[in-house]
Amino acid sequence: MHPADEQILKVNGLSKSFFGVKALDNIHFDLKRGEVHALMGENGAGKSTFMKILIGLLKADAGSISFNSEQIENMDVHSIMQKGISMIHQEILMVPDLSVAQNIFLGREIKRAYLLDELAINQQAENLLLSMGLNINVRTKAKNLSIAELQLIEIAKAVSNNARVIIMDEPSSALSEKEVEILFNTIKDLKSKGVAIIYISHKMEEIYQIADRITVLRDGKYITTKHTAELDKSSLISLMVGRELEELFSASSTAQQEVILKVKNLNTKGKFSDINFEVYAGEVLGIAGLMGAGRTEIARAIFGLDSFESGEIMLKGKKLKIRSPKDAIREGIGYVSEDRKALGFIPELSVKQNISLSSILNYSKAWFINEKKEEKASSKIAQQLNIKASGLNQKVMNLSGGNQQKVVIARVLMAYPSLIILDEPTRGIDIGAKQEIYKLIRQLTETGLAVIMISSELPEILGMSNRVLVLSKGKQKTILTQKEASQEKIMQYALH
Amino acid sequence: MHYIKNLRQYGIFIVFGIICLIISFITPQFLTVSNWTIIITQVSINALLAFGVTFVIITGGIDLSLGSIVAVAGVSAAMLAHPDSYPVLVPVFAGLFAGLLIGAFNGFIITKSKIAPFIVTLGTMTIGRGLALILSNGRPVSNLSDSFVFIGSGKIMGIPVLIVILIVMFILCSLILNRTILGRYIYAVGGNEQAARASGINVTQVKMTVYSVSGLLAGLAGILLTSRITTGQPNAGAGFELDAIAAVVIGGTSTTGGKGSIAGTLIGVLLIGVINNSLDLLNVTSYYQQVVMGIIIIGAVVLDSMNQKSNS
Amino acid sequence: MKYTYLILISLLLFILGCNQSESDKKNDSDKIVIGVSMLSMQNEFIVNISDEMQKKAEDLGAELIIVDAERSPLKQIEQVESFIAQKVDVIILNPCEYEASSPAVTKALEANIPIVNVNSATKVQPTAFVGSNDVESGRIAMKFIAEKLGGKGNIVMIQGLNGQAAQIQREQGAKEIMKQFPGLNMIAQQTAEWDRAKSMDLMQNWIQSFGTKINAVFAHNDEMGLGAVKALQDAGMKDKVIVVSIDAIADALQAVKKGDLDATVFQDARKQGAGAIETAFKIARGQQFDKEVLIPFKLLAKGDVDPYLK
Repeated sequence: MHPADEQILKVNGLSKSFFGVKALDNIHFDLKRGEVHALMGENGAGKSTFMKILIGLLKADAGSISFNSEQIENMDVHSIMQKGISMIHQEILMVPDLSVAQNIFLGREIKRAYLLDELAINQQAENLLLSMGLNINVRTKAKNLSIAELQLIEIAKAVSNNARVIIMDEPSSALSEKEVEILFNTIKDLKSKGVAIIYISHKMEEIYQIADRITVLRDGKYITTKHTAELDKSSLISLMVGRELEELFSASSTAQQEVILKVKNLNTKGKFSDINFEVYAGEVLGIAGLMGAGRTEIARAIFGLDSFESGEIMLKGKKLKIRSPKDAIREGIGYVSEDRKALGFIPELSVKQNISLSSILNYSKAWFINEKKEEKASSKIAQQLNIKASGLNQKVMNLSGGNQQKVVIARVLMAYPSLIILDEPTRGIDIGAKQEIYKLIRQLTETGLAVIMISSELPEILGMSNRVLVLSKGKQKTILTQKEASQEKIMQYALH
Repeated sequence: MHYIKNLRQYGIFIVFGIICLIISFITPQFLTVSNWTIIITQVSINALLAFGVTFVIITGGIDLSLGSIVAVAGVSAAMLAHPDSYPVLVPVFAGLFAGLLIGAFNGFIITKSKIAPFIVTLGTMTIGRGLALILSNGRPVSNLSDSFVFIGSGKIMGIPVLIVILIVMFILCSLILNRTILGRYIYAVGGNEQAARASGINVTQVKMTVYSVSGLLAGLAGILLTSRITTGQPNAGAGFELDAIAAVVIGGTSTTGGKGSIAGTLIGVLLIGVINNSLDLLNVTSYYQQVVMGIIIIGAVVLDSMNQKSNS
Repeated sequence: MKYTYLILISLLLFILGCNQSESDKKNDSDKIVIGVSMLSMQNEFIVNISDEMQKKAEDLGAELIIVDAERSPLKQIEQVESFIAQKVDVIILNPCEYEASSPAVTKALEANIPIVNVNSATKVQPTAFVGSNDVESGRIAMKFIAEKLGGKGNIVMIQGLNGQAAQIQREQGAKEIMKQFPGLNMIAQQTAEWDRAKSMDLMQNWIQSFGTKINAVFAHNDEMGLGAVKALQDAGMKDKVIVVSIDAIADALQAVKKGDLDATVFQDARKQGAGAIETAFKIARGQQFDKEVLIPFKLLAKGDVDPYLK
């Protein structure tokens, strides 16, 4: 047998139930040396439960896992990691105040006569990163690095741990295009060294670029495993969703003449300068650009999360003085953040309480909340947005990513905005929920709402926007109409 | 399974019930109206402090200055409460105002400087103690008017005034936390401060309010204590903040913020009171009382973390 | 980083050096310097002692350095160490604890600086002791109770902070008397940490537990005695129970006058303070002095208190 075809991991009949509900039902999976194997499925399909069992965080109810012909289904996290299976988590787990080198060797520090050998630690870390083509100073503290850099360092850490299987969970969700390129080069390098990779992502383009084989899960069940070449995009989607999807995007035809938002000479040193644009009622203005181009910074400035140094913001012809999000919401601006966990919802509050949070004054009388009114209003919008929860009183932290996002959008809409800024509205949510959000944006523009949509996914920008504003390094490069815009043109301006 | 989860959520209520049951078997005097009247009077001061600090802890903060506020408010009230000087409302308002002032000062420094509440209130704790000693020249202020003393030992329709105040404050604080916008905002700020701000909540204002309320309630507690022991003592209230925080934690309020209830805090306060009372009834030395209390505090937190794990 | 360490170390050396040269300086002025470490300036009785010391020192023309140990024996030891470093002529110690404050006395004696204990004792013998024998105060209080009860009855005792000399000796004195009266019965004893509110809570709980069985209360200080009185009054039992406590603070004298408190044992703070300074002064001047100056206690019942009220 050719070594590259050699099976390294074999999963048979894996099942797991929580409180009587089957989360995984008879899963089969195999992994070969030097292979990138994509694991696909909607949120709730069982991917993360599967991975948690694989790395020993959860115990399976039934089934077997063999790794290098050794049964590992009953081992704990630590021994499995030592055997050579590592996972790069969505949330980076690094100590912010330790250096890169110290983080890489955390828990297995190099010692000389009971003392830490910082010199050797730094030297080895540096060699490791260089071997992966990373040019990062190993003495930098982790908190001073970008998420992308941290992610690559996590991978380096796994490699230095002699990992034979690396699981990557949405590794590119926070990366810019260029950083994704570095990531893919690293993956190719790992492949050539015989490391096998289980790759989880919602981004179709990436899967087709990098994966050798694809396994699809749906509702906790194993659906199929195919070579990437044998499976086209639309059949992959229908396998995941279990039904044929209509066309993802539909262009808007409702753009009106009325100017809702006018931004004049907006400027903050080091973040963005000379930003000038207008948003019309009923249109979607897409904002494209690489990570760090200033997209989110502009949104934060308009919404009052950060102050800006100079410039003017006018809403419906009225000059605004916005000192905090509270002012912005009162004036009719809504913001759905790219960072749902940090800026989106309150995990411990219920669906109802999150939805009504920005508009609570409308359901209260003399400081007291009228819970009946609140319940009625939030239940209506929850139905409209098709929020799936066990009830309005379920805590938001227990919802899936897509439903959390819908709760945030519901909260913003409940304050009756005339302009809504959506910052990466579909990041990290599954394809079904994505489509619902696109539909919703359509419906909103039909009612005359103005929408700014910031996104790193060009197909999304192209499919949804009436006009596209392209940023590069904090500067506004151009505004393209729907007809002018194309993937190549946007990248041309963005890289300029 | 659902049933067990509920059991955990109400764990502290059940623990409280079981402890009461056991004690009532050992000491027949325990389950009498007169003994419970005494228990509730004894815990009323700690309860007011604990209610106030519940608000603060739910926002993710802490208030260590409570004990010192009790002393400052107590001494200020006592100085104005001598017989034939002012009507009784004057010392009462002076005490409340002193508490409110220190509480607002806490809130102001915490929101403006972004220094951790732990540090700021540690500072005001020392400042407050000093102020109480300065105001009173280090000596107890006694000779208080009968109408002032009535607050701490009088009865309204056979019910001690302290208990009446406790019940009113319990209802008021519960209403604020469960039914008002402020209450909702308090949970939101503690659950996720950034998201709360992005939802249009004035976080600074919410924090200012909770520290002021905490100070105000501590001021009230100071008045009650002074009236109860008929003297304003500059060294009164030392360590009270820890009892109050212990009660809040026992009552299931998470010290990381975003979660908790006034009812839970009341149970926490009563649990501490019941244990002190019953160990006294049994003539057990205070040494054991401290050990038992420590075990209960840790037990409560363990229960809470188990509850959190089962939720996630 | 390395520079930071260097700077820190040299700074430390510098400070140590300064300290050395400062303590080498001889106190050449004629004025006698007395270092005083007090138990707690938050306690009225102790403040009274210290006020009287100040007055007496002014009369004699001595310089006083008064510091507050805030009830911490460790702090007290450090304060005495710093007095030794300052080369004061005499140290007056108002000990926090019987055992734990003893090292302070040892250190002073080792440094050849005379040390006078005021108000309470330490295990190690100081150069001189000025105060009252706390055992005596316990005896006086209990004798009063025994007389009032006719040698028969149930007593509860509210103690000070366990382990302090005053608590140990007051309990000892009370128990000595109880041995002489077999009819007296101690049905409960518990600490209320010298605190009025705590004593009130404790008394309430005892009333629940023992009800009318209680005939008398002996509290180790007036604060606690007054707390017990309040609890008994609230329960409507005051006229059936005798309460006696120690110290004769202003509040207690008022209460005795009104008949709320049956008696308090007068411990003369002024005489203790003045006596301590006098003794310290004599030692410093090399004059004859008494190794033990005992200021007598006095029982004050209703009718005795007027001269003591300001």
